[in-house]
Amino acid sequence: MKPAPFDYVAPATIDEACAALADAGGGATVIAGGQTLMPLLNLRMSQPFIVVDINNIAELKGVSRTPGAIRVGAMLRQYEVLTHETLQRDLPVLVQAVQHIGHHQTRNRGTVGGSIALGEPAAELPATAVALNATIEARSVSGTRQISAADFYLGPYMNSLQPDELVTGISFPDWPRNHIPLFRELAQRPGDFALVGIVGALVIDAGKISRAGLAWFGMGPTPIKASTAERMLVGQTLESIDPQTIAEEAIADTAPFDDQHASAEYRRTVGKRIFASALRDALKAGETA
Amino acid sequence: MTAPGVKTEIGTGRYIGQRVRRKEDPRLLTGRGQFVDDISLPGMLHCAFVRSPIARGNILGIKTDIARDVPGVHAIYTQQDLAHFKADLLSFYLAAPDVEMTPLANGRVAYVGDPIAIVIADSRHSAEDAASLIEVDYADEDPVVTLADAARGAPVHPRTDNNIAAQMGEEEIDEELAAKLSSAPHLITHKVVHQRISQSPMETRGVVVSRDGPEELTLYITCQSPHLVARWLSLSLGLPEKAIRVIAKDVGGGFGLKNHPWKEELAVILAALKFGRPLKWIEDRYENLIGANQAREQEMTLQVAFDNDGRLIASHGDYSVNIGAYPQLPECNIAVHMFVWAAYKMPAYGFLTRGWYSNTVGYAAYRGPWAMESLIRETALDIAARRIGIDPIEIRRRNLVTLQDQPTTTCMEIPLEDITPAECLEKLLAHFDVDAFRKQQKTARDEGRYLGLGVAAYIEPTGAAGSIATMTGELAQVQIEPTGKVTAIMSTHSQGHGTATTMAQIFADRLGVRYEDVTVFEGDSSRGGFSPGAAGSRQGVIAGGAAIMAGDLLASKVKTLAAHLAETTVDAIRIEDGMVHVEGQPEKSRTLRQIAEIAYGEPDRLPPGFEPGLEAKYRYQPPPMTFASAANACVVEVDINTGFVKILRWISSEDCGTPINPSVVEGQIAGGLAQAIGMVLYEEMSFDDRGNPLAATYKDYMLPLISDIPTFEFLHANTPSKSVGGMRGVGEGGAIIGTPTLVNAIADALALFGEVPVDLPLTPAKLLSVIEGRDLVSPSLAPEAPAPMVAPIVTPTPAVQPASAPGKEIQIDGDWKMVLSTPVGPQEMTGHFETNGTALSGYLAAAEGQQSFTGIVDGNNLIFDLKVEKPLKITLKYNLTVEGNRISGKCKMGIFGSAKLTGHKL
Amino acid sequence: MSKHHIEVTINGRRHTADVEARISLSDLLRDNAGYTGVHVGCEHGVCGACTVIVDGLAVRSCLMLAVQANGAQITTVEGLAAEDGTLHPVQQALLEEHGLQCGFCTPGVVMTLAALTGNNAKPSEQQLLGALSGNVCRCTGYQGIRRAAKRLACAETGEHA
Repeated sequence: MKPAPFDYVAPATIDEACAALADAGGGATVIAGGQTLMPLLNLRMSQPFIVVDINNIAELKGVSRTPGAIRVGAMLRQYEVLTHETLQRDLPVLVQAVQHIGHHQTRNRGTVGGSIALGEPAAELPATAVALNATIEARSVSGTRQISAADFYLGPYMNSLQPDELVTGISFPDWPRNHIPLFRELAQRPGDFALVGIVGALVIDAGKISRAGLAWFGMGPTPIKASTAERMLVGQTLESIDPQTIAEEAIADTAPFDDQHASAEYRRTVGKRIFASALRDALKAGETA
Repeated sequence: MTAPGVKTEIGTGRYIGQRVRRKEDPRLLTGRGQFVDDISLPGMLHCAFVRSPIARGNILGIKTDIARDVPGVHAIYTQQDLAHFKADLLSFYLAAPDVEMTPLANGRVAYVGDPIAIVIADSRHSAEDAASLIEVDYADEDPVVTLADAARGAPVHPRTDNNIAAQMGEEEIDEELAAKLSSAPHLITHKVVHQRISQSPMETRGVVVSRDGPEELTLYITCQSPHLVARWLSLSLGLPEKAIRVIAKDVGGGFGLKNHPWKEELAVILAALKFGRPLKWIEDRYENLIGANQAREQEMTLQVAFDNDGRLIASHGDYSVNIGAYPQLPECNIAVHMFVWAAYKMPAYGFLTRGWYSNTVGYAAYRGPWAMESLIRETALDIAARRIGIDPIEIRRRNLVTLQDQPTTTCMEIPLEDITPAECLEKLLAHFDVDAFRKQQKTARDEGRYLGLGVAAYIEPTGAAGSIATMTGELAQVQIEPTGKVTAIMSTHSQGHGTATTMAQIFADRLGVRYEDVTVFEGDSSRGGFSPGAAGSRQGVIAGGAAIMAGDLLASKVKTLAAHLAETTVDAIRIEDGMVHVEGQPEKSRTLRQIAEIAYGEPDRLPPGFEPGLEAKYRYQPPPMTFASAANACVVEVDINTGFVKILRWISSEDCGTPINPSVVEGQIAGGLAQAIGMVLYEEMSFDDRGNPLAATYKDYMLPLISDIPTFEFLHANTPSKSVGGMRGVGEGGAIIGTPTLVNAIADALALFGEVPVDLPLTPAKLLSVIEGRDLVSPSLAPEAPAPMVAPIVTPTPAVQPASAPGKEIQIDGDWKMVLSTPVGPQEMTGHFETNGTALSGYLAAAEGQQSFTGIVDGNNLIFDLKVEKPLKITLKYNLTVEGNRISGKCKMGIFGSAKLTGHKL
Repeated sequence: MSKHHIEVTINGRRHTADVEARISLSDLLRDNAGYTGVHVGCEHGVCGACTVIVDGLAVRSCLMLAVQANGAQITTVEGLAAEDGTLHPVQQALLEEHGLQCGFCTPGVVMTLAALTGNNAKPSEQQLLGALSGNVCRCTGYQGIRRAAKRLACAETGEHA
């Protein structure tokens, strides 16, 4: 199928983009990498009056340090994450998550901001943002809002952005250099959305977990913060942690669904297992570190 | 007919049997292929369809006025606008359908995606803009979606009694067979559920059609045989066949979907006839997944009785296939039963087989349409082996037909002379150390890793010609041009098969020229003669034989001329690398070009009676049946925490006779195996209870990727067949044998947890359910109670009840128009009956001829037998009942079971 | 619907067009510029047949608007072989390894491999196979494609590097 007709603008600045969104009065759709939007346009499932292309906005690119955080520009392409030195060093879990997104060819266009703004519940980056307590920066003609990832996702493909707001960047709070990344995903084929996934990071100080940020994906209508597990982990010594027990409790936070690929019960059952196994591996890494 | 003086064994030559590079590849690798969407004609317009969003209902109204105003729109047609054309949706057997079928919906829709209107516009974009603005009102009805629905739901087609489209075999198991089954030491009852499959050629369907005159058409269409498309269309439209030119140079895969046009293509053709400008329609992937015909969706229950040694005693199969609303193959897949035990020593078999209409998109072929036979048999054998306590390989060794056992005849009366599944299995076992694997399996199990070995064997009928109208021999035409180059025109057709390569290899070998100097043309119905192209693994066998015969005729012509010129005998002439040599007289060597120039241009130098030029043609009719055989093994690991399957190793041991090009052969096998892996693990076209397809993109219809397919190991047996050249065919086999091989490996890995129900695909959730002994598949919340099915309006066919005495009022004598529902479609005939007391005589007349019979009359009951020779020698036993002007009853067709007959007095 | 004037370089040649905003790059390349070697297999970004190289990177041309390519350097499968017909190493490897059957997915496979092996890159076999998981082939069972990838990975880390 071919897209329904639409107008198109490609502003050069964030201000121009925000003005275009404001002018459209809710009839605009932003195109970043387009790797999800284009199929929706091609299927006529999305029929905007105007497409606002943010690919030409230089301000949206790049990675920067801000006090206490790493800020990733919304238009940072996924392939750029894979080889980005700062991210490899300071935010390795983001790199791991991106490795599992789509395919080489879609990562070459797909962006971090696009994936995070879209909020596919089984996708890697929204969950990573939730796990790491990231803040999503949204701009409109009326100003800038900082929205915590936990508050950003309202349902499948539904977020708390206003129709005239544009995601401009995502700030990931700093994690100490020695933090342990944790990532596990179960998908039937490479590039498929996860049947079950868990992502996050742990910090170990003097044999104890001092900080934990974890989130599930593919386990509910939105990425879900693994709050129970975080609570149970923080303050515990490594020896005292039984991953199996924590997984059993942690699953209570999830609300998986049935679809033609797997039942909710399958997702719960396997979710516990991959959680436990990912945690076990992370603790082992923590011991040797 | 086998031509005299031809060795059937060609073996390997300079080119035959060699892995030469494909002639097709340079253009395809550089983007210079010509697929249907690459065609653009002057004045061409584009089409889009409006499709039904509901699975069943009446159309109350279609509003097109707003859509007509869309800029760039030229016309919008509904079925009403096309109704004046004669246009039949013929089956693959070229039979007219039993039920009403029209290119566009005729007041009623019968599946989600059913085309309702066609929009003609400047661009596909504009056509879709307009299509989205056409409003259709429906009176929604509850659809019949599944096989279970079909059995109890209201008939899909008005004026039919029930949803059975075709049925053969006996509804009650024969008493003698039942006794054998029930008294056997071991009786296995095994059910297989096969999901629905989308053939998914990477190039979707598409057509560009140009009306070139009142009854002349040029058609570019992605298809499996331009000749078959031309023949189908000429019959469908009632146009002369030669007025239709069909061109399909490159085709992006077919797999059974593209045998002949269907609703959409026919609608575009009619629209072009009406509108008068060239039209293009390229199916998009969404349309392909919801609106192109699909395959499989079968259920079968097989009972198999064994003695205490695991030897086969008897078997019964009950098979059903969901053929949707408008099937290309309105059939009950009799081949499943013909071949289920063909390679095994099975003493007795009975069956019931049915095809069911439903409110889903229609049924078409997919690589090995009868593959259920191997899937259910090979998985049943493994279950039996576990139950009886013998090794799965041993149970096969005890029951497979070996070369020593032949010639023999199967329980379904198929003659076997040289099948080699047992030999393929032994070759496989010589290559794969089963004992070592079993040790490794045990060690792994101790570590919590679950490995499994699956083995399967099968035979495949290939190269069929003569049993079905469309399945014929092949014509090869070859010439040495005055330049010395060789060109051939074939009716083979490649959708990846590489026939321009393999046929060129044959011509190069038989003519003694370089492969580089041979060009094979195909893909155009205006060249060559009729053939169904790619279907039933036939091209290597039949076209290969034709190419050998034509090549030899031409070589002999060259030799005759060369001998005459050199004043020597034909025996003294040798053609090599394009040079024609004379034995012992090197100075008299000539190039083929020199010979050709004389043959074409110097008639005075030709021998008396020599037809000028260097051209030959031959239509080859192969033996009635050729068989390929194979045995496969694969090793898997199943993760018992997730139910995920990893394929660790796969070995194919096959016998396709003479391999013309081993790389092409292996390519065919590998492609089939990959599709088998897709069927076992990933692919599924399912519907919700309103008949909405659940996979409308490739995100949800999961095709196997490079990471999902292992590297295959190949073993070749190369036992020549009795066809010219000794080829046995290759194409469908991988998709047939791969499926049970993989299922068996998974079942072996999980044997400790219990039997794995063969309900494809074997998703992680299904396997984890077996591992944990609980349901991890069903939705957790009870779905909303489905709307009650419409009360069945099934009127049972009246049982045949012969009157006790012939009544005076019954008028039997005279001519009757009758239709017999056979496995290859309805057969029309005229019955002429004459009665004399209880004696009956008469004849049945059909297009193929007329045959007389005698029989008896019992009241209004007519009983008579007729012997036929084709496709097999069988006796047809008719038992008909006359009621007023109507006649009905059954015809028992030997091993084919019974077929229904209906008719009326003329 | 807005129309846009664009100028792109396709296989080294300048191409200008006035396109509706909704025209995809794949439709521009095929219908407007005549590069029919770009095959459209799904328009959902899954099959990979439409893969082309845009500014050095392999991308799905069905998932990009033509207008977005304004100013870009684009290479299609038609742009790889030398003018004398000598095949690109990727094409040659696929030819020799029987890496194609029907040829419909082939341009996407070629472009993915060409992008990864271009500019003196030295991809590992794993990297090539990983990227090829974005190219669906229904015919070959991927055997020849895998062999070609293996050979290209070796060649690039070996003497041709």
